[in-house]
Amino acid sequence: MAPVAPRSGDAIFANMERVNAELFTLTYGATVRQLLTDLEEVEEVNKQLDQMGYNIGIRLIDEFLAKSNVSRCVDFRETAEVIAKVGFKMFLGVTASVSNWDADGTCCSIILEDNPLVDFVELPDTCQGLYYCNILSGVIRGALEMVSMKTEVTWIRDMLRGDDAYELQVKLLKQVPEEYPYKDDE
Amino acid sequence: MIVCVAVVGHQNNPLYIQSFTEADDALKLHHIVHCSLDVVDERVNNPKKSGPTLNETFLGLLYPTENYKVQYVFFSYGYLTNTKVKFILVTTDLDVRDADVRNFFRRFHAAYVDAVSNPFHVPGKKITSRTFAERVSTIVKSFGLSSAT
Amino acid sequence: MGREVSESCVDSLLTEMVSTYCNRFYANKPELAARRIEAIGYQVGHQLSERYTMERPRFSDHLEAIKFICKDFWSEVFKKQIDNLKTNHRGTFVLQDNRFRWLSRISIDPSLESAESQDSSTPAESKAAQASSMHLYFPCGIIRGALSNLGIPCAVSADISNLPACSFVVRIKA
Repeated sequence: MAPVAPRSGDAIFANMERVNAELFTLTYGATVRQLLTDLEEVEEVNKQLDQMGYNIGIRLIDEFLAKSNVSRCVDFRETAEVIAKVGFKMFLGVTASVSNWDADGTCCSIILEDNPLVDFVELPDTCQGLYYCNILSGVIRGALEMVSMKTEVTWIRDMLRGDDAYELQVKLLKQVPEEYPYKDDE
Repeated sequence: MIVCVAVVGHQNNPLYIQSFTEADDALKLHHIVHCSLDVVDERVNNPKKSGPTLNETFLGLLYPTENYKVQYVFFSYGYLTNTKVKFILVTTDLDVRDADVRNFFRRFHAAYVDAVSNPFHVPGKKITSRTFAERVSTIVKSFGLSSAT
Repeated sequence: MGREVSESCVDSLLTEMVSTYCNRFYANKPELAARRIEAIGYQVGHQLSERYTMERPRFSDHLEAIKFICKDFWSEVFKKQIDNLKTNHRGTFVLQDNRFRWLSRISIDPSLESAESQDSSTPAESKAAQASSMHLYFPCGIIRGALSNLGIPCAVSADISNLPACSFVVRIKA
């Protein structure tokens, strides 16, 4: 049987159950605002958002693999491309790009120019240390961990802090090799 | 020319007021905004007088209330949202097109809605957003130029 | 057509937000977790009512505002209208959704049940009900926030005794 080709992000997004982005954007915003009230420390809010993202990522990966036809045993380079082109598109409806690879192919940047999480958002002066979109770094870390890639994800650029794009650096720390790689023809 | 715009909360608490004139008219403009708010309250509490379209957000000319318009320098128009927020526009133009004023309020309202959608905005507090201020300034500048947008 | 995201984004976020408050922050204080989840919903409802009432005439009475929640507002959020609206004509309204989307789609975190109560005699059913009721504080908050912003202070509770139907009881404060 011929291998099933991975589907394009646009095609998958078109077939997803979709909702008004406003509901999502405002719910995320209200959650961040409530976390700031309850935890007081901006650093602690960053940590919790990352943790929430991680928990979401480890669950979302199943839906991602099921709907994208992406095979599990791709290398890190391909994986990064797939996250940017398919992952962001199918869930958030926006496309990201990958750049700034290091020489040994274990570290790159995922760059987002359009980001539905931040529609309407303006950070108050009291929240300058806040990584408002920190849930995203958690989602990537969580999802990759489920496909045996331990990563470290850090923010390089943030438009809410005046930069010209959102840039997440994804660094591969350890890849646990799969003992019995899945083959398409089995 | 638009000389002043204001957003006022449901308890007549000022949320945003900005004048667009070099002249030192601040007191006069605040006074007109104040008078306009009284007229809004009066019209809303006595809907019979508010004309044919009951509960329409656009309230039309608020100030002056007399007919001898030529004596006046400033004219104000009002708009009341479903959430009881009042928008006031003060202009020096004696004759403005109804469509232009409606279009102005529609865009002003949209800018307001986006500003209060910021998760860090506290309802009832003054709007300090720079994005909002810039958007309002753009809308004010384009007033009367085109109703297309 | 405005911007859209996949429904799984909303579902995942809600599941995780509720779980964060119930399991991690206030594992032993469900009433505090409930209050926070409701507050998040309140802010969302407050903002959504501002957006969804743009370019529409002002409501002339409570019933008109409630009908707006049942029709336009519910359609924007859940892609369907409320199925049944009842009132006692004394300020209480019951909004019934025969198949409430967030109960059918959002997975109830099983760990919530164990976190909920140390009392092992509590029947499993009631624990599960308690877990779903945590999720329901969010839409209750949304309704209360939306109506408050329309000048109608009220209390909102949810009734899930007829699953998958869910009834929201709105009591307007005199």
